[in-house]
Amino acid sequence: MGLTIRQKADRIGTFRFVSVYLMETLARWVPTTPELEAKVLFGRHLWDFAQHADGLGRRTGELRAAAHYSPRPADAYMTVLDTLAGASGTVERVAGFYDGFLPDLEARYRRYLTETDALNDEPSVRIIERILHDLPRLHADRSAFAAQRPDLAAQDAAWPTRIGALSKGAGNMVIDRPLARTAAAV
Amino acid sequence: MSAAAEDTKVVGGVELRRDPAREPCFTVVQTDAEMQEWPDMSDISRRERLHRHMNNETGAMEIAARCLLDFPDAPWDLRMSLARQVADESRHARLLYDRLRELDGYKGEFPIANFEWGVTLMLEDLPGRLAVQNRTFEAGLIDVLGTLRNRWREAGDDVTADLLEGILADEITHVRFANRWIKRITEQNPRTLLQVAMAVRFLGRVNEQLAPKPGDANAVGIQWTEERRLPPAVNVEDRRAAEFTDEEISEVLRQAGFRSILPVGALGN
Repeated sequence: MGLTIRQKADRIGTFRFVSVYLMETLARWVPTTPELEAKVLFGRHLWDFAQHADGLGRRTGELRAAAHYSPRPADAYMTVLDTLAGASGTVERVAGFYDGFLPDLEARYRRYLTETDALNDEPSVRIIERILHDLPRLHADRSAFAAQRPDLAAQDAAWPTRIGALSKGAGNMVIDRPLARTAAAV
Repeated sequence: MSAAAEDTKVVGGVELRRDPAREPCFTVVQTDAEMQEWPDMSDISRRERLHRHMNNETGAMEIAARCLLDFPDAPWDLRMSLARQVADESRHARLLYDRLRELDGYKGEFPIANFEWGVTLMLEDLPGRLAVQNRTFEAGLIDVLGTLRNRWREAGDDVTADLLEGILADEITHVRFANRWIKRITEQNPRTLLQVAMAVRFLGRVNEQLAPKPGDANAVGIQWTEERRLPPAVNVEDRRAAEFTDEEISEVLRQAGFRSILPVGALGN
């Protein structure tokens, strides 16, 4: 059995929240990161997350939620996002974002594809497939950045590993609303 | 104009936003007098033009990014336009940096200034920022590029000329979305016009205070003549594409001494 409409909306909306949060994180980093190559990397990818948020937000409006419905993730996952956003050095920002955070986000998108009915929920599936198509390009750009700026390579993997572990350990990021029937009974 | 004091700097008696982060290789200056700029198309002048433009695109990227961050409740379609602008300006900075290196230039070869950031980030409302950054500075770049692309081509550098053509096309879209949005928002809420007017007046005051005077010289001894102080020739066709009204274009033409890159009579007057 696949997800209910409400569960789909909550998941897609939470992904949208995360996309907007990542867009804003990169926006915060652009003027506060000194290195031109890093600014360019963040600046170009910020647009990718805006487009992801846009597609996901349009979809929530088709799932009996408001367009651009964006519920806040569970506290444990918010801690991950806030920890990532709090990185202050260029090395920590790049490594934390691309090496630590994104792989777990990708895994969460893939998990959604296994949980939902691919035909019944095809519009969501297409949006997520497009997002998954973008992510390797972001990693390729990050690799090109590493080649341009070898002086900004992470000296130890502890930070991205910590972000990755925090992300994985956060468990389910979605706060499900009560089932409609239950809510009506109340 | 009320940014926190720790976020501001004072230049020539004017309070501006403190500079964004730059690498130590850059010498960040505050006035035109400290810039190195040559009026010709010599090798060093070409590199300086690319270097300056690269930093200006970086600044435009940073301003749009801060608008995204500072106005989370702005309409989503406007935030999308700002996000797209960030990405466009990022590409421009990268393209100009690559071209600079192809001409044997390097980051930090010349002084840089972050004037547009300093002015725009003093404004605390989005209509004001769009009026100054997109409708004024970026629209000014439309004029500059309208002439500059031809100068590079005449100097035999088609690669840079083509690059500037691509940038110009993008800048038109940035000015256009700001024009459309300001028009829409002022129709919904006419008081927004006041924010726009105050922002433009603030820019006018800053310019009056900081613009070089005739006879002043820059860091390499080039003097500011009356002619060099004039705004660039107006790129009428591309300003129209950016959806400035004929009335607005006429006003810009008047300020530029009626110099345009259109043939005489093309405006129908």
